[in-house]
Amino acid sequence: MRPVVISGVGMVPFERRDEDSLVDMLAVASLRAMDDAGLGERPVDAVYVGNMASGLFNHQVSVASSLVDRLNLMPAAADRIENGPASGGSAIKNGLLAVASGYYDVVLVAGGEKMREVIGPRATDIVACMTHPEAEYIYGVTLPAMAGMFARLYMQKYGVTREHLADVAIKNQENGLLNPYAHIQMRITKEGILTHPQAHINNPVVADPLHLYDCCPVSDGAAAVLITTPEIAKKLKKPPITIAGFGQATDTQTLQERDDPTDLKAVTIAAQKAFAMAGIKPADIDVAELHDAFTILEIAESEHAGFFKKGEGAQAVASGATKIGGKLPINPSGGLKSRGHPVGATGTAQVVELVWQLRGEAGERQVKDAANGFSLNFGGFGNNVLAFVLRREA
Amino acid sequence: MKTITGYKCTNCGRVMFPRHERCLTCNERNFKEIEPTKKAKLLTYTEVNELPWGIDERGRVIGVVEFDNGLRAMGLVKADKIKLGMKLTSGWEEVRYQNGVHLYGLTFE
Amino acid sequence: MDMELERYLRPPEYPMAPYPAKVITLATGAKMVVRQVDRDAVPTLLEAVMPTLQVARDYYDIVGARLYAELLGWARYRVKDEFCLVGQIDGLLVGIVNSRMYSPELGISLHTLAIERGLRIGAHLFASKMEHHIEYLNQDEVLITAESPIGFRRWMIEYSLIKREGQHELGGATPYGLTRELYFANKDRLVAGERPVPPELMEVAEKEIIIATEDDILEKILGAKRRILQ
Repeated sequence: MRPVVISGVGMVPFERRDEDSLVDMLAVASLRAMDDAGLGERPVDAVYVGNMASGLFNHQVSVASSLVDRLNLMPAAADRIENGPASGGSAIKNGLLAVASGYYDVVLVAGGEKMREVIGPRATDIVACMTHPEAEYIYGVTLPAMAGMFARLYMQKYGVTREHLADVAIKNQENGLLNPYAHIQMRITKEGILTHPQAHINNPVVADPLHLYDCCPVSDGAAAVLITTPEIAKKLKKPPITIAGFGQATDTQTLQERDDPTDLKAVTIAAQKAFAMAGIKPADIDVAELHDAFTILEIAESEHAGFFKKGEGAQAVASGATKIGGKLPINPSGGLKSRGHPVGATGTAQVVELVWQLRGEAGERQVKDAANGFSLNFGGFGNNVLAFVLRREA
Repeated sequence: MKTITGYKCTNCGRVMFPRHERCLTCNERNFKEIEPTKKAKLLTYTEVNELPWGIDERGRVIGVVEFDNGLRAMGLVKADKIKLGMKLTSGWEEVRYQNGVHLYGLTFE
Repeated sequence: MDMELERYLRPPEYPMAPYPAKVITLATGAKMVVRQVDRDAVPTLLEAVMPTLQVARDYYDIVGARLYAELLGWARYRVKDEFCLVGQIDGLLVGIVNSRMYSPELGISLHTLAIERGLRIGAHLFASKMEHHIEYLNQDEVLITAESPIGFRRWMIEYSLIKREGQHELGGATPYGLTRELYFANKDRLVAGERPVPPELMEVAEKEIIIATEDDILEKILGAKRRILQ
């Protein structure tokens, strides 16, 4: 398999975007990535679009074909890739394998979702369609409910407290203030969401033990990357960032059939594969973008991916080690909590952020001297996970 | 159907719910249909206040239990004082009404 | 003004107990003062409500238009027993709620307008309105309706309101009732506020109702402008 690099990235700010259609956002993000690379007239061989539920949210399918049409990229090959909230990551995986195989030279990957076209409870229901129809969905289970059941056990097992969760939320919202693309631009305080006697009125229970500020917002948005070979990258505008490793792994669909529901096996395996392929260890990572759809997940993933021992991830947040200036900055973009979570876009947006970080283009949220980056995209409820290791070449 | 249908692998004895075409332990494809026992142990739960479209209520408690015969399933928990590990008795009630269909599922008390 | 004529045109007034101001700590740590205002505040409030008439998103236009009429009507003594509460952060107006007493026992909830979004200000002010009806005006029930699906979620479902017969005076919509029992059952979970308001905060709030510019108000309602691009 030949080496693969990212030469261009782009995204649109994540927020509620009533004026833009899904394909509008995908098109703008894609053009930004293509222009960022300085692609010019060079043809794109294939397009992969990560998107979970355009048929349900937007009454439109085959959006990869639509995107090719909008951008006049015909006759490029095009596929829509679906993997729940890991659609964006899966799309990147497909793009990188396409170039690595030697069959395609220039591949555009775009991830996008337009969730705000439907009212909140409908979006909740659409997202819940990931769950098992007979064993889970009929009970009205929601993704926050899955996370709540997981959090209850995880917090009990490892002594994670609500204060630890609040630390994650506060950190990520602080980071979001430095990210013009982030959906939520709001500083929250521990007093306001946790310690004040009436904080529970600001921060009500969504699915206990998870509260409002433990959950990411519902967003619209799109992000795109341009993947190519090192040889072609030399002729393009920006310094290439290598996709040094990736891993993907699955687990049982239902929470109940996991022997230990607190063991995120798919995260562990996906991360191990990514590190093995890249030939580095978790300790070599300078910056990480993890999938904090719920605050508990940032802590759990940081442990399962190998950055901290099981049970020490919470203390790492509390100590400030995962802030932008800390030992291992996690989610400098603001994460899903603050940057937002248009489900199909997130996996791609995580990689876009890493590229900006590794290029030194992350502005006020720049992690100093970032050379190795890691991202984790959590599909289903941890039953289909992708991990990427990105590297800036010397 | 008054309860869920569980599956027991005729080769290795592993019990499973929901259905898998290949055993999660040994990959064999022959199963005996089994029913859960009446009693189960509560493994985890959550009280949900933001429910999906079509369910206009708050405070629905959803949990995962392990039946005495090893089967595990999700269901609605209707007990008063809920504690992890508590013993519950399973029932079968309407759990959701969607697109004109009354959907039945497990409840636990 | 011809006060003899006014006697014919003004609805009779019922003596209403005042609402004691309170302060709420929001998720950002900001302190929002919730206080009752008098008719003299109406011209300022109308200026803040006016921009919302252009915003169809989330039904701001219909809420704004109706609220505008109700505040104007109240100021001109053409609405019976209306009251108005505002939320202010450092003097800046962030939300308005209004309601009226139909009878000593029955209240009619009118409108809830949040100018600052993302902080549950609408929810806090709506709860304050209910607090006034039940705890200070001593009413037995408040009839509520919702023009927006957000309102429906936040009120009908959140409080488990009881569907009632008849028509709500806002367009004849289906009324839902909040009884004393329902209010107190939900109070701890939904009604925030500490009293008394610290004097420095109260002084700032009472000195002036500061309203944002029209541009700022629209930006707050429609979402933040991005620092770099569309």
